[in-house]
Amino acid sequence: MAAPEEGQFLKQANSQSTRGLLRVIILCLIAGAAISSRLFSVIRFESIIHEFDPWFNFRATKYLVQNGFYSFWDWFDDRTWHPLGRVTGGTLYPGLMVTSGAIYHFLRFLSLPVDIRNICVLLAPGFSGLTAFATYLLTNEMASSPSAGLLAAAFMGITPGYISRSVAGSYDNEAIAIFLLVFTFYLWIKAVKLGSIFWGALTALFYGYMVSAWGGYVFITNLLPLHAFVLICMGRYSPRLYVSYTSWFALGTLASMQIPFVGFLPIRSSEHMSALGVFGLIQLVGGVDFIRAQLPSKQFQTLLRTLILVIFVVAFGGLVLLTVSGVIAPWSGRFYSLWDTGYAKIHIPIIASVSEHQPTAWPAFFFDLSMMIWLFPAGVYMCFRTLSDEQVFVVIYAVLASYFAGVMVRLMLTLTPIVCVASAIAFSQILDTYLNLKSPKVDVKENASSEPAKVVAAAVLPDGLRSTRNPLVGIYSYASKLTVVGSASIYLMLFVLHCTWVTSNAYSSPSVVLASRLPDGSQHIIDDYREAYYWLRQNTADNAKIMSWWDYGYQIGGMADRPTLVDNNTWNNTHIATVGKAMSSREEVSYPIMRQHEVDYVLVVFGGLLGYSGDDINKFLWMVRIAEGIWPDEVKERSFFTPRGEYRIDDEATPTMRNSLMYKMSYYNYNSLFPAGQAQDRVRNSRLPAEGPQLSTIEEAFTSENWIIRIYKVKDLDNFGRDHQSAVSFDKGHKKKRATKRKGPRVLRVE
Amino acid sequence: MRWFQLLAASVLPFVALAAKKSSGDRFNDFHTKSVASGPLKLDDASYTQLTKAPRDYSVAVLLTALETRFGCVLCREFQPEWELLGKSWTKGDKVGASRLIYGTLDFVDGKNTFQSLMLQTAPILLFFHPTIGPNAKTDAQPVRFDFSAGPQSAEQIHTWVSRHLPADAVKPTIRRPINYVKIISVTTAVLGVITFFAVASPYLIPVLQNRNLWAAFSLIAVLLFTSGHMFNHIRKVQYAGGDGKGGISYFAGGFSNQFGLESQIVAAMYGVLSFATISLALKVPRIADARAQQFAVFLWSGVLLLMYSFLLSVFRMKNGGYQFWLPPF
Repeated sequence: MAAPEEGQFLKQANSQSTRGLLRVIILCLIAGAAISSRLFSVIRFESIIHEFDPWFNFRATKYLVQNGFYSFWDWFDDRTWHPLGRVTGGTLYPGLMVTSGAIYHFLRFLSLPVDIRNICVLLAPGFSGLTAFATYLLTNEMASSPSAGLLAAAFMGITPGYISRSVAGSYDNEAIAIFLLVFTFYLWIKAVKLGSIFWGALTALFYGYMVSAWGGYVFITNLLPLHAFVLICMGRYSPRLYVSYTSWFALGTLASMQIPFVGFLPIRSSEHMSALGVFGLIQLVGGVDFIRAQLPSKQFQTLLRTLILVIFVVAFGGLVLLTVSGVIAPWSGRFYSLWDTGYAKIHIPIIASVSEHQPTAWPAFFFDLSMMIWLFPAGVYMCFRTLSDEQVFVVIYAVLASYFAGVMVRLMLTLTPIVCVASAIAFSQILDTYLNLKSPKVDVKENASSEPAKVVAAAVLPDGLRSTRNPLVGIYSYASKLTVVGSASIYLMLFVLHCTWVTSNAYSSPSVVLASRLPDGSQHIIDDYREAYYWLRQNTADNAKIMSWWDYGYQIGGMADRPTLVDNNTWNNTHIATVGKAMSSREEVSYPIMRQHEVDYVLVVFGGLLGYSGDDINKFLWMVRIAEGIWPDEVKERSFFTPRGEYRIDDEATPTMRNSLMYKMSYYNYNSLFPAGQAQDRVRNSRLPAEGPQLSTIEEAFTSENWIIRIYKVKDLDNFGRDHQSAVSFDKGHKKKRATKRKGPRVLRVE
Repeated sequence: MRWFQLLAASVLPFVALAAKKSSGDRFNDFHTKSVASGPLKLDDASYTQLTKAPRDYSVAVLLTALETRFGCVLCREFQPEWELLGKSWTKGDKVGASRLIYGTLDFVDGKNTFQSLMLQTAPILLFFHPTIGPNAKTDAQPVRFDFSAGPQSAEQIHTWVSRHLPADAVKPTIRRPINYVKIISVTTAVLGVITFFAVASPYLIPVLQNRNLWAAFSLIAVLLFTSGHMFNHIRKVQYAGGDGKGGISYFAGGFSNQFGLESQIVAAMYGVLSFATISLALKVPRIADARAQQFAVFLWSGVLLLMYSFLLSVFRMKNGGYQFWLPPF
């Protein structure tokens, strides 16, 4: 009885529906793995929003949930960029906030009252599961092997290159944008394959969603036209391409223009011109293709070709003319600096100052992609075998994205999906070849005789790839199968270990809360940021203006709920330079600036006691540089360096450095912690001057437990109308210095 | 003899007049000279004459050392820009409304000036504010521009100079002469390229359509970019470092740091690994001979293992806390 049943079961297991079920189960497990590997930070610390930008997104989401969609759309925020304010509703990508707002309301509708913070924290891991699924779909369109899709999904689920921006609490635009990116590409491939308006419209829909979520949508805006363009150049124009491209472009452009921040950019800025240009080109090619089918005359074709060339040149010239005359905005700095890599450093220091805009050294690639970094080229090579329309897409995407990732660390994120797809194609090819139980029969003679002639014939101009010229035979021995499959599984295991290790060690720190190890191995939490922000929240007036470097603006807004002068939305360079000038000038210069901007408190981050290297003294040169860009006469970078060109904070520091507000605020009272003359800065490893700096226009208000955050209160004007220096020296009991020389000999007044 | 004295005495008033005229209106003299020639070529005497204390005009003097024996590359690089600036300024301001004189003092002509200013380096740009007149500054010291940031373009110096002039002064824009040679050569080159393609297209198109070529091209691009070539390009890293004992160190210390040679080694490693993968996946199953195939499998698996293990060991060197490894290394 048992034997037939078992046989039946096996038969069923091979059938289509069981395979489908297995696949669903595997995908669910992958999604589960993807989500759970992103929860390190929640388990180790708590459910908390990370880093800088997520705090703004969180604050905006709270605003959306409290005030509703329309007032969010028209939100003018007067608590940032004091006194200018920011038209927040019109200058953000609302996709992320709207998504979590919709989830929040949906859960409330199901009577599941989940706190909005928890939704925000867990949004990125949740979407990473969807990304894995989208990668599965995309890879299935590329590869014939069914295992490639599952492998790609697994790779995508756990690769650190994507985890770096999607751990729990990393509530940033990229959290949903990568899913949208991959899914839009899937829909596009589907549309090109089928030539259907339906899929083209779906592509446009998700493209619109992507535009609402992340500025990186420009990558799609340029990649899809490039794909279409390359296909046309390869002579692969087809009505399918025409239908899918035009429906995507028309609907997608309309959809993207609905976002206030994007507005009319799609027809007015250079970044979008390639899409428009290819749209025009494809109309021409389509028209010519149609007419050629009707009129086979040779002369007419020549005429048509000339016509195309003329129209193309005229259109291109018109585009250039419009750009020169300023109707079409030239490339914005951030995108331009991708091509001209030296541009940002000279012209826009504020872009160059951000660490994620730095170029990528090779260890970062290996760190984020591990084994896939060398599977990736192999996968790209395999796409050249058949080189169907969608495989052309893989090649273009691969080359372009690896260039971008090399120029900017941050763009590793756009490279990761294609790396996963390509390496899954390569890896599944190996597995499919070597996991095949059937061995070919040894039957060599016939092949060998016919081979040379064929090879010579094809050698002049091979049609396919060099390595696939011979017919496929298969693997003969079990030993080779075992070797390859065994080592492949070891590499896969190593990959999983690597990903887990990287995620746990490098990408799971909230950076708001720091962790360190005590000598006995136990974990010690350093919670200075929140300590200081809560101090601000509880001890200062509701509208006390806080001045800090722009990195901390979003956090102060989100955690302390106090107005700030500048924040991470660096829209006004002059305002940032003003803060930079106040920080890098002498107190007498800074005080009027702070009074003019109604600053009540100044916040600095100081890591010298703890050895925390991301502090303000290390960022100080950027403040100086940015301020110098606006006031080259008053702030000079050169004067912060010693004559030997060193950036020092000890006895040999330049007077400008030692008199700057930032230096004074960082080291004020610092030597009281140490025995006389032994104050030590543990970040810069240098001993401080014996006498600490003196402050007169501001006074210390708060210093956190490990001195990471120091807050100073800006003094009001002196009651007696003295300047602050003399008031301080009077309070200290110094006698007021009198002018030693009298104005002249005493004379008798005769009147 | 007597008549000579008389003559001298009678000429004296004229001489005094002439002298007075030239000293009283030094600006016009210098300005007419500079309209003809661009920045004035100064020596010690004319330098003191030009920058003498009571002056109602501003002066921008470049102190430079042009001769090759001084080895000042910066001076020679900046000189054409400086002359361009001076020329287009005086051309745009023929009447001298901005009351600014450009001058150049070479070290050969002005050793004393260099000594008196205690200058050790060149080039240095000095800007003298007027000491009398409406725009006078109380501080008689000239403003100094150091070329610490490398060679500057005429536009950058133009903004620097304009900043020191009063806001309402005339500031002629820089006019770069049209480079006809460049236009002609570019046109010729473009036409040449078009002709070349038109003539050679029957031979070129098969090459352009060769799939292997494109595959090689894309793979090389991908390998270059993923091994940090752009980092080398942007940061201008050194090609290889020393280990302090006279040897070469191939790998830079630190996670976000690399040498040019290092990135090439890494690219080669990736290339070998990819090639081994491709061989295993595509070539080996097409080997008809069973024993040859067995050998190829072991060979490529061995290469893969060795290379990957070496890659991991290099990565451990770069990232101290990394703990994963594979057997040989």
